[in-house]
Amino acid sequence: MFGFLKKVADYTRDAVDAANYLGQGLSVTFDHLRRRPITVQYPYEKLIPSERYRGRIHYEFDKCIACEVCVRVCPINLPVVDWVMNKETKKKELRNYSIDFGVCIFCGNCVEYCPTNCLSMTEEYELAAFDRHSLNYDNVALGRLPTSVTTDPSVQPLRELAYLPAGVMDPHGVPADQPRAGQLPAQVLEQLQANAAAGDEGESIENAPVGDKANG
Amino acid sequence: MTIANSTELICFVVLAAVVVLGSLGVVLLSNIVYSAFLLGGVFMAVAGLYLLLNASFVAAAQVLVYVGAVNVLILFAIMLVNKREDLKPVEGLQLRRLLSGGVCAGLLILLVRVVVSTPWAVPGPAAIGEGATERIGEHLFTDYLLPFELASVLLLMAMIGAIVLARRDVLEADVGTGDAVDQGLIEKPSTPLLVDQSTR
Amino acid sequence: MVTNLATAAPALVSPGLDLELSFTQALQGLGLSPQVAHLIWLPLPMALVLVAAIVGVLVTVWLERKISAAAQQRIGPEYAGPLGVLQPMADGLKLLVKEDVIPARADGLLFTLGPVLVLVPVILSWLIVPFGQNLLISNVGVGIFLWISLSSIQPIGLLMSGYASNNKYSLLGGLRAAAQSISYEIPLALSVLAVVMMSNSLSTVDIVDQQNGAGVLSWNVWRQPVGFLIFWICALAECERLPFDLPEAEEELVAGYQTEYAGMKFALFYLGSYINLVLSALLVSVLYLGGWGFPIPVEWLAGWLGQSVDAPVVQVITASVGIVMTVLKAYLLVFLAILLRWTTPRVRIDQLLDLGWKFLLPLSLANLLITAALKLVFPSAFGG
Repeated sequence: MFGFLKKVADYTRDAVDAANYLGQGLSVTFDHLRRRPITVQYPYEKLIPSERYRGRIHYEFDKCIACEVCVRVCPINLPVVDWVMNKETKKKELRNYSIDFGVCIFCGNCVEYCPTNCLSMTEEYELAAFDRHSLNYDNVALGRLPTSVTTDPSVQPLRELAYLPAGVMDPHGVPADQPRAGQLPAQVLEQLQANAAAGDEGESIENAPVGDKANG
Repeated sequence: MTIANSTELICFVVLAAVVVLGSLGVVLLSNIVYSAFLLGGVFMAVAGLYLLLNASFVAAAQVLVYVGAVNVLILFAIMLVNKREDLKPVEGLQLRRLLSGGVCAGLLILLVRVVVSTPWAVPGPAAIGEGATERIGEHLFTDYLLPFELASVLLLMAMIGAIVLARRDVLEADVGTGDAVDQGLIEKPSTPLLVDQSTR
Repeated sequence: MVTNLATAAPALVSPGLDLELSFTQALQGLGLSPQVAHLIWLPLPMALVLVAAIVGVLVTVWLERKISAAAQQRIGPEYAGPLGVLQPMADGLKLLVKEDVIPARADGLLFTLGPVLVLVPVILSWLIVPFGQNLLISNVGVGIFLWISLSSIQPIGLLMSGYASNNKYSLLGGLRAAAQSISYEIPLALSVLAVVMMSNSLSTVDIVDQQNGAGVLSWNVWRQPVGFLIFWICALAECERLPFDLPEAEEELVAGYQTEYAGMKFALFYLGSYINLVLSALLVSVLYLGGWGFPIPVEWLAGWLGQSVDAPVVQVITASVGIVMTVLKAYLLVFLAILLRWTTPRVRIDQLLDLGWKFLLPLSLANLLITAALKLVFPSAFGG
């Protein structure tokens, strides 16, 4: 008898809870109605890619020593390094270098391991093409510098959420000189060094290596 | 003849034609799904006839019960039956057809006889119209209470039968064929599927 | 059908604006017989309501897109007309000129008939939606019962299009739609029955009249809160709106019974579902939110302002306020439905049937019995 009553009570409590959760969900949805749209009108407005954005790879032909480290660290051995051994000078002569961006996963391993820093990541991400073979970039195409979003006169650059001033959600109409929320690693380091100079010397030694990496 | 009368006559002829042709289609078409959909059409036309008789409540009830429930359930049964079997030719088909045709013709003759011999009062009793709902309710709860309750008992029996047919797992043997029912995957309270191996 | 029903307009106690009477009298003044005048009058409200239904759908589609966008912090339609108000027109035009594809192995006749059978009952149901004392196509005696029986035809159209498409997703979608529709029809009808019991009439006009004694306080929603919720949940399920959009659950069934449809036939389904949504919202406002009634009775306001209720100006204002109030209430409910769409996840089929048969059905039965008991105990408050 009491078991049955308990069941009824549990059932009722479940139903009331469900209604309660529905109400909470509705209030969340309703709250979102008040917020401004965060739409970026793409071809006319573009978000500024972050500093470490891994876009299309840039390559400097003259720096390359044809060591093929990039090929070895690549998960799929993607870069094609076309060189011949010059018997007379006993040096490698680079003839061609290409990366197929239809296959590349933009992991950045080649950039990380390149001994001469001839590979680097750009902020270019608009790689659409009508033919997938045209995504296979040779050393000339790889050597082109992308047009930066901030310098393109036909594009309105917008800052990403993490780069906006504190409390600002909508990137439209935020002045370019207004600083982002929080401090950059370099600024944190400056602060720490200033503190260290003023106060105890021992603390700055612990922090220095970290700061160096952030600077580099 | 006024406009209202002629409209009524045209409606009646059209509806009657739909009922007769539709019923013939239900019986004669070889595609069972077509038959079922046509049955729905016949029910709708009958509802239209009720409407012509100024019995809107009966018409609406006809649509709700026959089209909305009975016909949909028939369609459900047709579309959910998953049995693929080859139909064997029936022996003596011609004789069977003749016999059933004879029975149907006899019934038709009987009905025609009744229609012709009954002294119909023309025009019939005036339609109650809007008051029909209350009158039907009164009758259902006074002098027609017993048939009403009996009908509900009949429906209950049909429901129990449907449950028995659908839930084979409560039976040891198949109702239709008498074969033992494979209960391998049906969980029973005494022997759960996930037997705790450590206690064995 | 309409010829028979529309003539049965009973003499009403409160006068209100009677457009039909004045129109037919004007025509008779031109020397036409009353019958011919009536015949000329008949198609007018039907055409008007058809146009109103289509415009209502256009507005609803636009609202749906805009509110959905707002809930997701998007902008939504923007370029077609100011604020994108012409977007639904553009959608409709696109569907109108698209190629009408009938799949090669489909059943052409049933394939064409299916969408028609889905749309026609929904449009026919607008017969009984009142926008004012005399502002409806026909004050049918069986009123709300006609709507329930008409909406029960819809599953046949869904089954038909699901079967005729010759596609497993379509068939499953059609079966699901029909199962859902007939499961939720029962609690829906029972909650309507409780309202009907209180107003002693199936006619929508009588149901609204019974609620308009004391403005907002006499609305049925206070006397039937449980019935209101049941009706709204069932109406959402009947319209196949989220969280009950299983028949067209795209992750499981592509688009359900609409999978094989394109062009105008698809548009008929689309139109049908949105007309059904607006119709359900209108009926909720008629059954539970006082229909055309202003929160404060117009008669009181007229009395305070020293105007007679029968004065022509007051009558015109009353009628306009009635239309505005009905539409306003209905669109508030449509807004709620859209909000619910972005709040609730889709239920599973077993949860759907559990909710329908094990929760809503007993609840609506209990609601009906309690209403009957309350009617016997407090005849003045719950309709004698």
